Amino acid sequence: MIRYIANRLLITIPVVLLVILITFTLGFYAPGDPIVLIYNENLTNMTPEDLVRLRQQYGLDRPYWVQYVDYMAKVLRGDLGTSIATKQPVLDMIRVGLPITLQLGLAAGLLLIVVGIPMGVLAALRHNTWMDYSIVSSALFLRTIPIFVLAPMMMIAFVLQLGILDVPLGWQGLFDQRVILPIVLLAAGPLADVVRQTRVAVLEVLSQDYISTARAKGLTTHAIVIRHVMRNALIPIVTSLGLIVNALLHGSVFLDRVFSLPGFGSIVINSIQLLDFPVILGATIFSALLVIAANIIVDLIYPFIDPRVKLD
Amino acid sequence: MTTAEAAIGQPIRVRSLWRDALRRLVRNRLSVIGLTITLLFVFLAVFGPVLAPYPYQQQDLRRTSELPTGDHWLGTDDLGRDFLSRVMWGARTAIIVATFVTSIAVTLGILLGGFAAYLGGFADWIVGRLVDVAQSVPTIMLAILVDTAVKKPVANSFEAAYQLTGFEFFKGSILLDYLITLAAIAAVSWPAYARLIRGQILSLRVQGYVEAARATGVPGGRILLRHIVPNALGPIIVAATFGFSTAMILEASLSYLGIGIQPPAASWGAMINDNLHQWRNRPYLVAVPAVVLGIATLAINFLGDGLNDALNPRARSATRN
Repeated sequence: MIRYIANRLLITIPVVLLVILITFTLGFYAPGDPIVLIYNENLTNMTPEDLVRLRQQYGLDRPYWVQYVDYMAKVLRGDLGTSIATKQPVLDMIRVGLPITLQLGLAAGLLLIVVGIPMGVLAALRHNTWMDYSIVSSALFLRTIPIFVLAPMMMIAFVLQLGILDVPLGWQGLFDQRVILPIVLLAAGPLADVVRQTRVAVLEVLSQDYISTARAKGLTTHAIVIRHVMRNALIPIVTSLGLIVNALLHGSVFLDRVFSLPGFGSIVINSIQLLDFPVILGATIFSALLVIAANIIVDLIYPFIDPRVKLD
Repeated sequence: MTTAEAAIGQPIRVRSLWRDALRRLVRNRLSVIGLTITLLFVFLAVFGPVLAPYPYQQQDLRRTSELPTGDHWLGTDDLGRDFLSRVMWGARTAIIVATFVTSIAVTLGILLGGFAAYLGGFADWIVGRLVDVAQSVPTIMLAILVDTAVKKPVANSFEAAYQLTGFEFFKGSILLDYLITLAAIAAVSWPAYARLIRGQILSLRVQGYVEAARATGVPGGRILLRHIVPNALGPIIVAATFGFSTAMILEASLSYLGIGIQPPAASWGAMINDNLHQWRNRPYLVAVPAVVLGIATLAINFLGDGLNDALNPRARSATRN
């Protein structure tokens, strides 16, 4: 077990280092030099000599590799740089925005499980009927349409046409009707994967001999589903945990703009508009680390819920 | 079947792999619909500028923010530009970007995936890790990063090229937007193709018919062209079709976020973003580009599903169980 965990972590290290290397390289050649930006803002009371001196002071004149090692050491110590626009450490900005995104993500994950798994089970039980086809195709439909297309369309449909919801802009905590649309939209993307995985898992179980035995004993379909089938639905639940993290980060970049949410995505959007490179770099590395961590957790849980997954 | 026909003296109808695939594709109703709509968008992309009632960037400042009328079927936007014309030009942007991105990414994927599979060792390791990185960083974040990072250097080199040569070609900011968007999307798209192609080559190389060819002394290049490429082509075509719609969505995503294709050039993503503040008063300004983009992506995915069933009939029976 310990060897499995160690191996899993070991293959992650080069990926993490490469993520940092690629982001750093892009930032190095991008117009991200904060001193030059400050210099351009204060042309009247700064001389070119000041510029050279300041760049020396902050170590920006050193060779590429020296700066890379320096940057990597900082990232590993949890220092993702400082925003040019707000003068705040990037990690502090993420610390404010991320909880909002994570709350929405948690709710979306719950919705995903509550809606996706029964849909998958139902599709499998009604295999190759209109019910199966319509469940699978509507989930695929939701995944194909980009989130920034679905979001305004749902806003127009539910607020303008049907008048069910109020204008859903801003953030007032998780227990407010404003969060309904963002949560539904965040769950819409990964829904297709959860439905498909549940469906395949249940179909596989239904073809097993012990299900025939259970039927022959006279157990009702209801009892079979509860006792034998649902246990196998644990696997899609864990997989959906990994999927929701990626979908959450992706979705939040778009939803925060549509619904004026002050989450992780809003940090990204603002930094793009201001070309605030330390923030773009920091947010990219942070999101990658979050996805990598989620994948490791999922891989570590698999062997516990599915004995068929080998540990080494 | 064919031997029976031959026996009674009828000519043998040669049915190639590709003709079989085409028959399977045409038999699937959804994929025919997808193909038709996709071709319609390609047609719009090619002839849209001729069909569009107004030039996409022509402003009429006396007639801004008009509701749909006989002159302007979908009304005008904030700057008095004909909205229908801009939606039609948007098709050109979407199709051009997706076409170039898919060609570049597939070429890169074949080259790097091929190197990884044939060279093995360190080349394989480094391509594998790059694929891991692309799967770890959320695609949109990586695309944003590449887009914003290459913008200034590319703009500077274009400016330098203009100073040096004086060609008007290097002056257009629209061309620059296209190039930067292409680079950003291609950079995040190729790893998926590289992984697919590497896997295809590795699994096909150990097939019985390849070993048989090698045993009978067929040279390596000929094995590659006659056996490996035709068999790997099906999955690559399917992946490229889905990749085409992904590239289209990524272009719209970047443009929606204010990078990518920027005004005055027309992009559906940018149109959704630009008109978002008007969603209450004039919802169709948001809805039309959104619905058009949605239809385009759905159509291409239908086509991809159909191609998958047609080109990989065995994979189909495995997934549909």
